[in-house]
Amino acid sequence: MTVADLEVLGAGDAETAPPVDASGKKITGRSPTRIAFDRLRRDKVAVVSATIVFVLALLGLFAPLISDLFGVYVDKPPSRPATQYLLYGYPRPEYGPPFGGLTWDHPLGLSPGTAYDNFAGLLYGIRTSFTVALLTTLLTTTIGVTIGLMAGFARGALDKVISFVIDVFLSFPFLLGALALAPIITNRFATDAAKLEKAQFISLISVLVLFTWMGLARLIRGQVLSLREREFIQAAQVIGVPTSRILFKELLPNLVAPIVVTISLSMPAFVAAEAGLAYLGIGLTGIPSLGQTIVRAQGYYEQYGLYLWAPVVTIMLLVMALNLLGDSVRDAFDPSTRR
Amino acid sequence: MRLNKPIVAVSTAALFALAACGGGGTDGSTGDGDQTEPTFKEGGGTGQGKDPTRSEGPAEPIEGAQEGGTVKVISFSGLETMDPTEAYYTNTAAILQGLVVRSLTQYVYDQETGDMVLIPDLATDLGRPNDDFTEWTFTIRDGVKYENGQEVTAEDVAYGIKRSMDRQTFPNGAPYSNEYFLDGDKYKGPYRSGTDYDGVVVDGMDLTIKMATPFADMPYWGAFPAISPIPPGKASDPAKYALHPLATGPYKFAEYTPQKALTLVKNDQWDPDTDPGRHQYVDGYEMRFDVESAKIDQIMLKDEGDAKNTLSNDSVTVANYLKFKEESPDRLVLGSNPCTFYWAPDYREVTDKKVRQAIAYAYPYLDAYAAGGRIEGVTRIPGTNIMPPGIPGREEYNPLPDHEPGSTDPDKARQLLEEADAVGYELKWLYATDDPLSVDVKDTVKAALEDAGFKASPVATTLDQFTTVQDDLNSDINIRSAGWCSDWPSGASWFPVILQSTNLKEEGIGLNYSVFSEKAIDKEIKQIQTLSLEDQPAAWNELDQKILEDYFPIIVLAYGGEAQMRGSNVNGFNIDPTFGEPTWKDIWLSQ
Repeated sequence: MTVADLEVLGAGDAETAPPVDASGKKITGRSPTRIAFDRLRRDKVAVVSATIVFVLALLGLFAPLISDLFGVYVDKPPSRPATQYLLYGYPRPEYGPPFGGLTWDHPLGLSPGTAYDNFAGLLYGIRTSFTVALLTTLLTTTIGVTIGLMAGFARGALDKVISFVIDVFLSFPFLLGALALAPIITNRFATDAAKLEKAQFISLISVLVLFTWMGLARLIRGQVLSLREREFIQAAQVIGVPTSRILFKELLPNLVAPIVVTISLSMPAFVAAEAGLAYLGIGLTGIPSLGQTIVRAQGYYEQYGLYLWAPVVTIMLLVMALNLLGDSVRDAFDPSTRR
Repeated sequence: MRLNKPIVAVSTAALFALAACGGGGTDGSTGDGDQTEPTFKEGGGTGQGKDPTRSEGPAEPIEGAQEGGTVKVISFSGLETMDPTEAYYTNTAAILQGLVVRSLTQYVYDQETGDMVLIPDLATDLGRPNDDFTEWTFTIRDGVKYENGQEVTAEDVAYGIKRSMDRQTFPNGAPYSNEYFLDGDKYKGPYRSGTDYDGVVVDGMDLTIKMATPFADMPYWGAFPAISPIPPGKASDPAKYALHPLATGPYKFAEYTPQKALTLVKNDQWDPDTDPGRHQYVDGYEMRFDVESAKIDQIMLKDEGDAKNTLSNDSVTVANYLKFKEESPDRLVLGSNPCTFYWAPDYREVTDKKVRQAIAYAYPYLDAYAAGGRIEGVTRIPGTNIMPPGIPGREEYNPLPDHEPGSTDPDKARQLLEEADAVGYELKWLYATDDPLSVDVKDTVKAALEDAGFKASPVATTLDQFTTVQDDLNSDINIRSAGWCSDWPSGASWFPVILQSTNLKEEGIGLNYSVFSEKAIDKEIKQIQTLSLEDQPAAWNELDQKILEDYFPIIVLAYGGEAQMRGSNVNGFNIDPTFGEPTWKDIWLSQ
């Protein structure tokens, strides 16, 4: 594979004196990753999407600080009773939209029925989305890569067994699994609210991981199958390099591209999945989530558009930015696209 | 009476139910001024009166009513079953009783009082009891025909009654025939015990029903579709009959897709001269179910084209109530339904009356209505008595004299807890994690209870499991949320059902959600049922007061109300407070 060749070449170059090209500029060796990043930096779409993702990540990361700054709460009305802020379920005009103008006390208004602050809800929702997406991606990648490497490198029985397991998991319907698991978790941890929250969080991540690690595992296995016949691997085997070293020092660096591409494309999928499950009522319930806000808000789309559109647009922005960034990353890492 | 949607909706409705401020009498405002305009019809009764003399058809014409046109009906709740014997949901019972099936007696809407009146239907009067209400005789009128032209006989009514005793073929039907009629525990209906039954005796057009226990409220039970004529034998095979019950009323089934759609057309065999209560102004009804609530609201709000001839027997959602109220208040049909929503602490566990009273002070009635998507003063009305307004004999009293219904007073609650030496008392009740409204209500209630010094430990479950867990006597909860609607306007459809000791081992919790059991009260319930019809209403009200003042076993959260919608051409649409459903008998369209 070209990537490997480039790296081998690059490594060789570094040891000799830097050659000079016709124009007199130094030819420096650049790693494929380096090349990819240079390409990314020149890609406007990538820069814009990365900025959006970065800003949203900051909002999520500092959600508690920002809420404090605005003096808003995520899970309770500014003071009780909540009905003092409400009129037939809607926030009163003096507390902002839909009937009043913007107030900096509640930039996105109050939620109907409960008078919770929508801005705080949004911040914490973003936080949840990122946490879930990052954790899930980290876990799927680790599991997928490890199993893929093992399956690809171990010939014979082990490969067959692992491949079979992958096929079994692929044949499980994801949504059905999530639907079945949610009530079990709820009823198991029914009496302890704190534990239930944690259990839901863990189960959400487990469900997402359980049903998505196979894609990467298969991809890696396929790559390893072709790589392990290459001369540098065979050479390593001949001179007696330990298998673990071959796997992680020889093979893994050559798999960086597919892994990065998979990661960047699975992040948005997990963000969407978290919101989707929360929408269906089988995701998180104790922790603020954009999906839950959307369920609550859908009846209000006409009279109180902001309540619905704020979380919808946020999710859309986040997913789209991550997707575009993912596309750019793939292009940047793919040596066959020369621009 | 069951609410529209079966088990799940009953429990969730109960879940969201929350509150307490004078349904009748007080101005209902609890601090929020403009929020609580009294939209709830005061005295919105559940059938205060009876009028045995209104037995001659035709029904009095409605002033200005026009004939013709087809009314379209849209609703989210499907029709569970349309077999008259089994129709026990508010929507199915109201449609059958109002338009399709005639029973012994019937309710009609009184324009002046906004109340329902019980008048004769198939029978020529409201029945003639013997001295101790153990035998009732009805005379069936001549000249009533099924939609196929066949004459209705007393035998057919007797067959309908026998059918109503089969709890296995019709598991969801109302159980009153078995509870009161002779051999109700032994006779299992014509399909399992044969047609020989001593409880009903037919003599010409006279029909005598014998009771096992005194049953003063027979005329009310006689208004149920279950006590209607049903042709014996093959013609009423349960599987088929549920799809097309033979009409005796002004409209008959034309097309029916269970849970989805029902089309009714004029029944030309119905003779207005024999019916003192029903009208036949419109040509027919096209009903569509399973329509999303948001969509119903939009169609009704726009009021364009077909929507002008449309009505919905669902209440407008809270999201669109304000807009509807501002744009077309005259097209909102407000009224009450005969339901009380309450919290039932487990009487075996929460043994201290002061603790139970403290809950009533601590509960965030108004916040909880709002969080549950209910509208205070419209679909939820704070209350005091167990029986909702409109039941004969009901007089407003307040079991907690210094507690304004619907208000929350954490200090008083804390004081009571301190007196009972129970600060930090743990309350455990259910909520459904997959229902965002349920979660919001839970959060609100939890915060308020903690404010008052309780330890609040809501227990998570799912909508699916809710009833199962709540009905389980051994569940790790000590408060159950419940809602009950009267089957007829009398204490007899309240106290024997929801506050009489049940045999826990054999029957389980039944509908006695507080697991209340006091021998003195049981005795009194039994005794009131033997009183004369005139004395019963006052006695039930006294019992109501006695139960709450002496034991305070349940916390009344709210009474139910309706805010249904009509198109601009639909007239004669009021809320029938016995069901909380449209007054189907009076509907007409302006052309």
